[in-house]
Amino acid sequence: MIRVTRLVRALVALWLFPLSAKAQDTTTLAGRLDKPTYIAVSAIVDSARVAKLPTRPLFDKALEGAAKGSDGPKIVVAVKQLAVRMSFAKDGLGAKSTPDEIRAAASAIEAGVSVRDLARVRSAAGKRPVTMQLAVLTDLIARAVPIPTATDIVLQLTRSGVRDADLSLFQRNVRADIDNGADPTAAATTRARGLVAKSAPSGGKPGPSQ
Amino acid sequence: MRAVRKLPRHARFGLWSRLTTPRRVSVTPLSWGMLAAAILVFAVLGTRSLVTYAFDAQSRAFSASSASKSPQSVQFVLVAPDAKKVAVVGDFNGWDASHVGYQAQHRGGGVWSVTASVPLGHHRYSFVVDDSVWVADPIAPRAVDNDFGVTNSAIVVSSQE
Repeated sequence: MIRVTRLVRALVALWLFPLSAKAQDTTTLAGRLDKPTYIAVSAIVDSARVAKLPTRPLFDKALEGAAKGSDGPKIVVAVKQLAVRMSFAKDGLGAKSTPDEIRAAASAIEAGVSVRDLARVRSAAGKRPVTMQLAVLTDLIARAVPIPTATDIVLQLTRSGVRDADLSLFQRNVRADIDNGADPTAAATTRARGLVAKSAPSGGKPGPSQ
Repeated sequence: MRAVRKLPRHARFGLWSRLTTPRRVSVTPLSWGMLAAAILVFAVLGTRSLVTYAFDAQSRAFSASSASKSPQSVQFVLVAPDAKKVAVVGDFNGWDASHVGYQAQHRGGGVWSVTASVPLGHHRYSFVVDDSVWVADPIAPRAVDNDFGVTNSAIVVSSQE
């Protein structure tokens, strides 16, 4: 009987293990926010959970606001807006998108990328994750590359099957070019052309920037 | 009546009879152990996956193999010649500037760096200089989300293959 009790205890502990992370998040949040803000944020998180959206980014957004000394109403608005953006992001990327993809897509939406363009990126990538593509897209827009141009570049790189490591290098090169005084659009298009040529299986013409 | 019982039974009736007739089965202790282990494995895997899928979509990203879940070491570098203290804060440490593992060390010449463990995935972070000034990583992708007046940096941590 003792063995059976131990077995049952072990099973219950294993069952509760994934929930402990959630409990930890809640405890941390309760310690950093005032009560009205905590209640409002918890309600948004609960709604997001019902909508099958990732909840961790919402906790993180609230913690970020608290760390930056923002007041309660501002934190609540920020968390609510993130939930809305993640909902749109999920619509664009599809129901099978991962939390990381949804979080990255929410940033892209905030930068001005449309839900339709998110769907195009997803379609271009096939079954590959699009987290890095969306991070690069957001960064290009943040560095003053026009949204249609940045979207076309990322779509082109994605269709060419450029690897995440190369995308990361592409982002760094574009940033360096811009920091050195290059026009953002010219820097991004030139670097992209070179990367696509490099990624071509065979017979690809070398790009002018490489 | 005895003659009737001796008649050959229909095949389907015979199978039904075998399935429904009580019989004595001998089981070795080893077999009991194997059966218990199988039930345990099924219960654990079944329960874990049920919880994983019911909790929310967030869990799905981390349902890959345990090897790919392991955090990666990431080096954060900031050039801040006048700084007295530099820390990295982000969603990987609860935006806590006092977190011990994310305090940058001065390497000389105004260069501050820390190599910290960061879970796989998409993260947002920033540097906090002298406990008061928030600075985005100048070489990292920008995250755009400046809900609180300060732009963050983005990082995508993937497994090293």
